[in-house]
Amino acid sequence: MTRVSPTPALARLRGDFPPVGRARVLVHRGTCGNAVGAEAVAAALRASMPGAAIAEGACDGACWAAPSATVQREAHSHRFARLDRGIPDELAACLAGQCDDEYAGRGEYGLLERVGRNDGSFGDVIGRGAYGAAAMAATLRPEQVIEAVAASGLTGRGGAHFATAQKWRLAAQHTGQKYLVVNAEEGEPGVFKDRHLIEGDPHRLIDGILVACRAAGVDTVFVYVNGQARNARAAFERALEDARAQGILDGAAFGGDPVTVEVRSGAGGYVCGDESVILNSIEGQRPVPRYKPPFATDEGLWGRPTVVNNVETLCAVSTVFDSPPPPTKLIPLSGAVSRPGLYEVPIDGNTTWTGVLATAGSAPGLVPGILLGGPSGRFVTPEEYEVPLTMRGLGAGGAVVLPRDADIAEVTRSLAAYNMRESCGECTPCREGTQRLVQLLEDVPANRERIAALIETLTEASLCQLGGMAGRPVASALESFPEAFEE
Amino acid sequence: MATRGGTIGLVMHSPWSPDASDAQARMGEALAAVSRLPRERTQLLPGFLAAQEALGWLPRAAVEHVSEHTRVPVAEVYAIATGYSELRLTPPEPGAWYVCTGVACDMAGAGALLEATPDRTRAIDCQFLCALAPVVHDDAERLYGRVTAEDLQARLAEAAS
Ligand SMILES: Cc1cc2nc3c(=O)[nH]c(=O)nc-3n(C[C@H](O)[C@H](O)[C@H](O)COP(=O)(O)O)c2cc1C
Ligand code: SF4
Ligand code: FES
Repeated sequence: MTRVSPTPALARLRGDFPPVGRARVLVHRGTCGNAVGAEAVAAALRASMPGAAIAEGACDGACWAAPSATVQREAHSHRFARLDRGIPDELAACLAGQCDDEYAGRGEYGLLERVGRNDGSFGDVIGRGAYGAAAMAATLRPEQVIEAVAASGLTGRGGAHFATAQKWRLAAQHTGQKYLVVNAEEGEPGVFKDRHLIEGDPHRLIDGILVACRAAGVDTVFVYVNGQARNARAAFERALEDARAQGILDGAAFGGDPVTVEVRSGAGGYVCGDESVILNSIEGQRPVPRYKPPFATDEGLWGRPTVVNNVETLCAVSTVFDSPPPPTKLIPLSGAVSRPGLYEVPIDGNTTWTGVLATAGSAPGLVPGILLGGPSGRFVTPEEYEVPLTMRGLGAGGAVVLPRDADIAEVTRSLAAYNMRESCGECTPCREGTQRLVQLLEDVPANRERIAALIETLTEASLCQLGGMAGRPVASALESFPEAFEE
Repeated sequence: MATRGGTIGLVMHSPWSPDASDAQARMGEALAAVSRLPRERTQLLPGFLAAQEALGWLPRAAVEHVSEHTRVPVAEVYAIATGYSELRLTPPEPGAWYVCTGVACDMAGAGALLEATPDRTRAIDCQFLCALAPVVHDDAERLYGRVTAEDLQARLAEAAS
């Protein structure tokens, strides 16, 4: 794969930030690290290595390794895991150049390339590919940008996998005030990819935002961040300030039209990740779904055409001018594996669950199933472990690996109960149906006919996909693990 | 300082205690934060969040101030506020701890954490830190990962002393 070469404007900007080149230790102090003592680790490193360059960055996706630090020395990059158990002498030796181990596991390119490998400053990312896409898009006509995205085959990573180019085209055909809403709500249990992307490399998101604005003819952006993701919001706001100061938002740096970006926080609720709920929330209406149609690309915020894109989608946009653009999917993986964390896998017809499980340190033969997609998801069973993964099949990507002794009926009940609690109550099938489903799941053996009829009603008649998919894990469990629901 | 003496007055009626002036100052700060926002409906949620940031929850006076400031009727403002699970319309319990019981945390022993500390912990949903299960947070929403029952008991004892 070859990366898009920098435009003259970008090359000039990069020239202002020559690489420092000094070897350093980057302590991973994202939300993950901080929850398991990274603060103390950073202090211990500073105390034990006076004079060494010790920087701080976010989680690099190896959540299992936290608290951890990576020694960065030119092309050499070596992560030291679980520093709460002590700081090995090899770390200082590596910093001094006496080490040639290089940790494997992450490809050279991809959305995680800079995540957890920079200190959050503009200078640390601009020399490493940041803003290649925005600078390129500014030299193209909007139709050309849409063509490039269409050619890359990019689909929405929020879970529904609608073609991104098509969405932009629908908005582009309207004139007048238009909006882009970045869906950074990430409220699906088991999913923690967008938080990692924003905390670890917020400039990649801004890069994608600028490309989307260019393509769809948008000048006003709202970034709607999950209310609990405070570190993500802070990292994004800092990056936005830096981008503004460099003339990246007002068109001074690369040309192109100015855009204004406003950050908003959400305040909880699974349904608040649905794009129409976000639109209501930003407007100051009740946070409930809207009827569709009209679709947001025709009538969105304040009735104006609006593109809603997920964070991972827009980050993937930053790679569409590379040839060929790497089709990868982020998989937030948790549960019964020895290395839980955020994985980026190529969707090229060769990746299977067997491979993913092995990378995460689990013997596929011991895994009875994988919950894929949380409360709106389904169970992947061993027969599928060898089937190549597809983009659409992965949804948002959240995967919880079940242990050998998993109580499938209990997991299923807890998912059903979650949907019941999160039902916003706006429509009857879901408000009543999710409660009824919880009750029906208490019966042993399960009354399959009644459950099937109820799921059909939920699927067909719910206003939004919270209710529409609420029966999905239940149907999947009944089908794949029938014995769990017998006496 | 907020210009709405009437709303601030509600705080002054609260029974005198050594904390009262502090509470009043925080209420003033909360109302001022709301007043700094543009007077538009779109600022409803930002207004709630600004007030909750200062106060830890949304007492009636704060909700009413958001209503007046955005010119949205108070009944409607309440209907909107109750739609958000993270907006607190009742005061938080000081010293309470929250244990995630999402699927990953459940499988990693969240139930044992709740059982070991029955009086002081509450079950909550996924905290999006599933790779570090089981996960808890304290009353200031500080997250802790890979928590054992012993850790949690020690933290509770420490917080109580
Ligand atoms: C109940 C529910 C929750 C959702 N949660 C999210 C979410 O947390 N993040 C997200 O990007 N999309 C979420 N979506 C999908 C969005 O409605 C929308 O399809 C997506 O943001 C579009 O962006 P994309 O095309 O880039 O994927 C959710 C949908 C539903 C019905
Ligand atoms: S399906 Fe459920 S969450 Fe969606 S609108 Fe209806 S009640 Fe609300
Ligand atoms: S299940 Fe506990 S953090 Fe997600």
